[in-house]
Amino acid sequence: MIERDELALLATSFAGAIAQATSPQAADAELYELGWADLLGMAPRQGAGAAFAVLGTTGSPIGLLDDVVAHSLGLSASPAMCVVMPQPNSTAPAGTMAGTGVAVDGLISARRSTAELALVPVLHNGTISIVAVAMSSLEANAHFAIDPSAPFVRVTAESAAIVDRVEVTNDWPMVVANAQAALAHQLIAASREMLEMARQHAVDRVQFGRAIASFQAVRHKLAEVFVATEGSAAVANSYVDGECDPMIAMLAKSLAGKAARLACANCQQVLAGIGFTTDHAFHLTMKRTMVLDTIFGSSRTLPADIGRALVATGHAPRLVEL
Amino acid sequence: MNSDEFRRSLVAWLDDNDAPLRLTGGQPPSVTPDLDDELAQFRHVKQALFDAGWGRYGWAPEVGGLGGSPMFRAIVGEEIASRDLAEPGLWSMIEVLAPTVIAFGSPELIATMVPPLLRGDETWCQGFSEPSTGSDLASLTCKATKVDGGFRVSGQKVWTSYAQVAQRCILLTRTGEPGSAHRGITALFVDMDSPGLTFRPIEIQSGALEFCEVFYDDVFVPESRLLGSVGQGWQVAMDILPYERSTSFWHRGAFLHHRMDQMVAAAAAHDGQVNDHEAHVLGEAYQAVMAFRCRSLHTQHRVSDGEQLGAETSVDKILTAIAEQTLFDAARDVLPGVLEFGTDADAARWRREFMYSRAATIYGGTSEIQRNIVARRLLNMGVEA
Repeated sequence: MIERDELALLATSFAGAIAQATSPQAADAELYELGWADLLGMAPRQGAGAAFAVLGTTGSPIGLLDDVVAHSLGLSASPAMCVVMPQPNSTAPAGTMAGTGVAVDGLISARRSTAELALVPVLHNGTISIVAVAMSSLEANAHFAIDPSAPFVRVTAESAAIVDRVEVTNDWPMVVANAQAALAHQLIAASREMLEMARQHAVDRVQFGRAIASFQAVRHKLAEVFVATEGSAAVANSYVDGECDPMIAMLAKSLAGKAARLACANCQQVLAGIGFTTDHAFHLTMKRTMVLDTIFGSSRTLPADIGRALVATGHAPRLVEL
Repeated sequence: MNSDEFRRSLVAWLDDNDAPLRLTGGQPPSVTPDLDDELAQFRHVKQALFDAGWGRYGWAPEVGGLGGSPMFRAIVGEEIASRDLAEPGLWSMIEVLAPTVIAFGSPELIATMVPPLLRGDETWCQGFSEPSTGSDLASLTCKATKVDGGFRVSGQKVWTSYAQVAQRCILLTRTGEPGSAHRGITALFVDMDSPGLTFRPIEIQSGALEFCEVFYDDVFVPESRLLGSVGQGWQVAMDILPYERSTSFWHRGAFLHHRMDQMVAAAAAHDGQVNDHEAHVLGEAYQAVMAFRCRSLHTQHRVSDGEQLGAETSVDKILTAIAEQTLFDAARDVLPGVLEFGTDADAARWRREFMYSRAATIYGGTSEIQRNIVARRLLNMGVEA
């Protein structure tokens, strides 16, 4: 565990470094200078929670998810670490064995531009193994992706040659859980950004001789976003605060994605005309949350996964206790 | 004793005493339980808990308690709800009303009145709403006039839960000029057998007779029954909120969690197969219940750390309403036909509780009022036009 104010201080310095960096790669390197890898090693869930909240607030596209996945697998984090994430809306490993090579269909982070190797989790005979393939053996197309800074793009390969096999210590459900919890924090922070944009606009914008923030229809739209965001944050924080049951992380990701969808819809409506243009920053955050919602299960796919997991055990566990 | 040890000992005791704690002796409950049965069961459990000490933790020695954090009360409420040992509405009333009397009553009043409530010997009710006063509580008109030795009360209350079985009522009255709004309100602690007090139960859509209209026709209330001072009634009413939204909400959440658990068990009983829609609906319900549970957990810790609760508990209130309605909506889909056509006690209970859940966005401050508070106090959106 790490003290809360120490963590807050670190988060502030991360945000500062991201703001001053000239490129995502430079920001990535700077976070390592500031101790990101040590933080992840020392307090993985807390550290990821704080760092991903910074990513959500700043909108930085850097590939910290690679580090969370790598660390969860028992590998060490580094700016050269690049892992292929599952296909959109899926939690299954992106790789399947194809002859002597590996077939790949997944998502890859901004580190694709500098890393030489991509690590591909592969499900084979019921167990997970990690293989390394040359980045050049993957086909990526970022040109038509929704998010202009392309934090993740889709990659495929029919059969990429395996250049290395990596021994890992942890199992896949824990990897998925840690990634989901980190993404939940990023989504929550991004939703709060959208809420603040809409709130400020509502307070400033005058129509019919009064601020539109004084209209109940507007107030309630934003209040709903606030409540959804706070509810998902309570669950995400439970994962940080010691409960590392994978179910909590799955719930946090699902709820955070759901809150983000509500934030996209309601904040867009309140921002009205200006929020519909690229003159306003709203669209960037909205597009980012659309991308994040798809990674490691979305708010539309996870509830059914949750429901099936409950039915499999026949119980609805309390998970957190007084 | 920490909360883990407390829970473990309590659970062991409840497991050992399960059959004697149930008046039906383990027989299935009736298809149409009436309030008298529910009240008898509730009192039976309260008495047993009090006698064994469990019901005294978290309450001050002045009211017959054994002291300790209110967290202990929350744990007792949770374990009782998780075993369906007491009707949750009856249980919640104590958690809401006892702390209010303790905060605002005279030492003599507290010492006389609270212990019988905690022991389950008495039931209390809360006389706030009036026919023309729902969300706009400060507009209440039930009039109290100062007379020799006390007050004379005349007026009408409505939605008073359990008035027909209660011995006492925390009553909000108008002592100021008409139109004095929240400044002219006074809280009184009234005996329900006072001359001039009559009531009429109202049947709600679940079929229960939980609520009453209560009529006050020149009812005398002695000076000693003043809660706080004259004109302090609004503060008394506002002070109830933190109590309602801490241990009482935890209890409500535990009740919902228990129903969630039963719904999952029922779904799994159909050869363990659910279709995509059923799985989705179960997941949505569970995540709503868990969002409330995690939020409420945080609130319980804040209370335990001595923090004052305020506007942020409007979030808890909205989340509990979402959890309750999402859960019972899910029951319609996951237990096909049970609510609509089922004839056994189980089906009748799902039906009753579904109907009751429709009020979750209405009682205790509507969701609209809560969103107003969120916008004004938590989002700083200024005043509403």
